[in-house]
Amino acid sequence: MTMRKSLSTAAASAAFLLAGALSAQTTFHKFVVVGDSLGAGHEGNCTVQRYQLRGASKLIADAIGQTDFEQALIDESPPVNPPTSYPCLGAVATSTGITVGIISQEGAQLNPGLARPYDNLAFNGGPRVRDFVDLRVSVPGRSDLDNYAARVLRNVAGSPFAGTNAVEQAASLNPDLMLYWVGNNDILGAATRGVVVDGVTLTTVADFEAKYTEGLQTILAPGRTIVTFNFPDVTSIPLFNTLPPIVINPGTQQPVIVNGSTVPLLGSRALPPDCPVAPCPIPAGTLLNTILAGQLMQQGVGIPAALGGLAVEGSGDLATALPDGSFTPPAGPLVPGVLLYPDEVAALQQRTVDINARVAAISSANGTVLVDANALFAGVVANGYSLGGITLTSAFLAGGLFSGDGVHPTAIGYAIIADYVIQAINGATGSAIPRPNIAAAMFTPNVPSFGAAVTTPGFVPDSWMLQLPYLSAAAPPPSAMPLVEATSRPASTRTVAR
Amino acid sequence: MTKPRRVRRLWLSLAAAGLLAAAPAFPSGFQIMTQGPRATGMGLAFTAVADDPSAIFYNPAGIGFQDHFSVELGAGFITKLSGDFTGGNPFPGDGANGTQHKTTFVTPNFYAVIPLTEDFKLGLGAFSQYGLGFRWNDPAPSYPWPGKFISDNAVIQSVDLNPVLAWKLTPAVSIAGGADYRMSRVQLERNNGLYDPLSNAVDDVARVKLNSSIWDNHAWGWNAALLIKPAPTFSIGASYRSKIGIDYVGDANFTQIQTGNALIDALVLSRLPQGNQTVRTHVEFPASLNLGMAYVIGKNTTISLEGDWTEWSQFSQLNISFDNPAIPPLDRTTNWKDSWAYRMGVEQKFGSWAVRTGYYRDKTPQPDSDVGPILADNDRDGYTLGFGYDTPHWGFNVADLYLHLHSRTIDSQPSTDNFYGHYSESLNIAIASFRFSF
Repeated sequence: MTMRKSLSTAAASAAFLLAGALSAQTTFHKFVVVGDSLGAGHEGNCTVQRYQLRGASKLIADAIGQTDFEQALIDESPPVNPPTSYPCLGAVATSTGITVGIISQEGAQLNPGLARPYDNLAFNGGPRVRDFVDLRVSVPGRSDLDNYAARVLRNVAGSPFAGTNAVEQAASLNPDLMLYWVGNNDILGAATRGVVVDGVTLTTVADFEAKYTEGLQTILAPGRTIVTFNFPDVTSIPLFNTLPPIVINPGTQQPVIVNGSTVPLLGSRALPPDCPVAPCPIPAGTLLNTILAGQLMQQGVGIPAALGGLAVEGSGDLATALPDGSFTPPAGPLVPGVLLYPDEVAALQQRTVDINARVAAISSANGTVLVDANALFAGVVANGYSLGGITLTSAFLAGGLFSGDGVHPTAIGYAIIADYVIQAINGATGSAIPRPNIAAAMFTPNVPSFGAAVTTPGFVPDSWMLQLPYLSAAAPPPSAMPLVEATSRPASTRTVAR
Repeated sequence: MTKPRRVRRLWLSLAAAGLLAAAPAFPSGFQIMTQGPRATGMGLAFTAVADDPSAIFYNPAGIGFQDHFSVELGAGFITKLSGDFTGGNPFPGDGANGTQHKTTFVTPNFYAVIPLTEDFKLGLGAFSQYGLGFRWNDPAPSYPWPGKFISDNAVIQSVDLNPVLAWKLTPAVSIAGGADYRMSRVQLERNNGLYDPLSNAVDDVARVKLNSSIWDNHAWGWNAALLIKPAPTFSIGASYRSKIGIDYVGDANFTQIQTGNALIDALVLSRLPQGNQTVRTHVEFPASLNLGMAYVIGKNTTISLEGDWTEWSQFSQLNISFDNPAIPPLDRTTNWKDSWAYRMGVEQKFGSWAVRTGYYRDKTPQPDSDVGPILADNDRDGYTLGFGYDTPHWGFNVADLYLHLHSRTIDSQPSTDNFYGHYSESLNIAIASFRFSF
C-alpha cells in the first residue's frame, strides 16, 4: 500500500468515525408517560384540555417533535352550581381581593375512541405506585381513582384494554423515551387526608419499593430511556403553608394579639397534660389544609369563641374544632382531617427521605435518568424561580407556580418542570432536546375559552391578602372582643370578567 | 448652600463641563481606554511611549521627559454601530429579539503639563476612565424589549480629575504619582412584572427608575507610574491605577402601569412605593496595571507592545438596596474575573506628519453567568488607524478605532438573569485632539 493510499484510507476512516460520532447523538421518536396527576397536567383540581396541552408531558413531547402524542383530552365547560363534574379551582375576584373559587368544570372526553393506548397514560385520582401495576380493571363510579383511570387506561370491563395495567399499555407502545413519574401520592395522600397512618394512608418503604420495582421492570427495554423522579417535601406545598395556625386579623393582615400573645386556632386533638380535653390550641408547627380548613374557619370552626368563633377550649365539642382526622384500625373508618400536627409533618418528611433514597438506588441499578424533583422544589420554596427579571414563588395563588388547588403547578410551573426534565435527559443521554419556551407560558393569559367564570366565592379566605372573611374589622383589633360581625360570606354567585 | 460648597461646585462644573456634554457609554468591561488620539492610533499601546500630554492618563511618568508647558484638548466620539439580541428558550423564547439604541456619545478629555523645574513636572488631567451605556429599544411599539424586567437602560458615568507629579530621576528614568478624584453616577431603568392570578400570566405593573447625581457620589484613588529609557531607541513603562470604590446614594421612583384590571391595579397601587425612595449601591472600580515596551527603528518608526491587566475581580457584586425596608433589594453576584488586553502599535513619521496603526485583543472579564441586558460584554478585537501633524508648538491628531465584539450566546445555566439568547455588537470610536505647547 502506498503512503498516499494509506493516508486516503485513514482520512476515509476518520470521516466515517466522525460521521458515526455525530450521528450517535441520542434522538427520541416515541414518548410515553406513566404517572399520576403531575404527568396528566392536572391543575386547579381538574384535568381539562386547556391544562393538558400546557402540561409538562405535552411540552416534552413537543420538544422531541412528536406530533401524534395522544392524551385523554377533556373538554372544559362553564361551571354550574353545584358542580356536576370535577370543578376547576382558580383565582376569582371578590369585593375585597382575590380568593379561590370554581372557574369551570370538566366536560366530556374528546377522544375516547382512540384504537391504541394513549401516549400520556398519567391519571389523577390519587394513584399510588401499586395502582400502576395492580389496577387492571377500572370501575367508574367506585372511586375518583377509578373514574380517572377509566378515562385514561380505558381498562373497564368489556373494553379491549380490560385486564391491562398502565405499565403494560405503555410498554406496548414501544417508546424510546418514557417518564415513570409515579409515587407522589404514596406520601402526598396522607398529607391531603390529614391522617398519617403507616401502611394505610402512608405507603411503607417496603411496599413502595416492591411495587415501584415491579412497574419499572415491566417497562425496561434495551434502547429505551426511562426517566424516574424523586419526591419533594409535600409539607412545603402552598396547600399546607398559607394559613398559619393562629388567628389573623384580615384588616391588618397581622396576627391578633391578646395579652401580648398570638392566639392559636383550636384543633380536635387532645394534648395532655396541658389540654386533656379537646378542642385544644394547635401547637406551633402544625400545618393547615388551606382549602378545607379555610372553609371550616369561614364558619367559625377552630376560631376561639372569645374571638367570635365557635370553639371553646376543653369543652369536648369536637364539631367546633378543626378536625385532626382519624383512622380506626384495622379496617377503618378513615375520617379525613384538615391538620397536620408536628409529629405527622415529621413522619411525612422522614418517609420522603427514605423513599427518595430507595428511588435513587433503584434508578441507579436500572440505569434510568433520575430527575431530582426534590431539589427543584426545595429551590423554588427557598428562593422562588427567577426568569428574565421576574421572580415567581410558591405562594398560594399569587406566586405563579402553583395552581388554585395549592398542590399542582400552573402552566408556568409545568413549563419549568418540563425544562428541568429535558435538561436532565440531555445531561444524562447526550441528547439535544430543545428547551421549552417558558416565557410563552408566563405571558400568555390562561383562562377558560368561554371568557367568564361563574363561581361560588368563598372556598377559602383571600389568599393574596390573607384576609379572613369571618373578621371584618379593617383596623387592628381592640382588646375588647368579639370582632366578628358575620360568620360566613353570603352565598351568591358572581360573574368575574377574565 | 455654604460658600465653600458653592466654590467647589463651580470648580467642578468648570472642570467637568465638557466631559458631561453627553453620556459616556463605552464598555471595555466598562473601562474606556481611548483617552488620546496618538495612543488610540497605536492600538492603545502607549504606556512605553507616553510622549504627549495624554501621558497623564497612559503613563504620567512620561511627562517627566516633557519640557514644555503643554495643553491638550480632545474628544472621542463613540458610535454604536450594531447591538443586537436574538432570544432563545426558555426565556425570553425563540423569536424574541431586541436592538440597542444607536447614538454617538462624546467623551472629552483635557490634559495640561506644567514644568515646575527641569526634573519636576505637574500634570492635570480630566477624563472618563469608566462608563457604561446599555440602552435597549422596543423592537416595535406593540412589542416591548423582552429584557425590560431586568434593564432597558443601564448607565455608569464617571469623571476623573487626576493631578500628577512626575520626577525625572535620571536622564533615563522618570517616576510619577498622583491622586485620582472620581465622580460618578449610575442609572438603571426597568419594569416590574407581577403574576396576575386572574389571568394566570405576568403583567407589566410598574416602571422603576433608579438614578443618582454625579455631584453627590465620589471617591479618591491614586496612581503611580515608571518610564525607563535604557537606550535612546528603547523604552519600557509601567502604570498603575488603584481601585476606587464609590458608595452611591440616589433616588428611586416607581410609576404604576395600568393593567386594565381594576382589582389588580388597586392591589399594585396599595403596594407600590410612593414618592422618591432613597436607593444605595456600591461600585468597585478595579485597579489596573499597564506594562509596555517601545522600540524606535531608525528615527521615524516606533513599534510598541503592551499588556494591560485589570483587576476586574474587584467587581464581584452589584447590590442595590433601598432605605425603605418594604422594597426588596436588587442584589447581583457578578463574579467578574481579572482580565488582560494585549496591544500592539506602530507609528511612522514623515517629518511633522505621522501615520499610526494598531491592533489589540481585549479579553472579557465577564462570565457567562452575568451576561444580560445590563451588560453583554465579550472578547473584542480592536483595529486602529490614525495620523497627525505635530510641531514643537502645536499639534493635531486624529484616530479611529473599529471595535468588533465577538458574538456571545447564553444558552445554559448558571445565569443570573436566566435570559437566554445571542448578543452581537460593534462600535466605532473616532477621537481627535489639539495640542498647544509653549
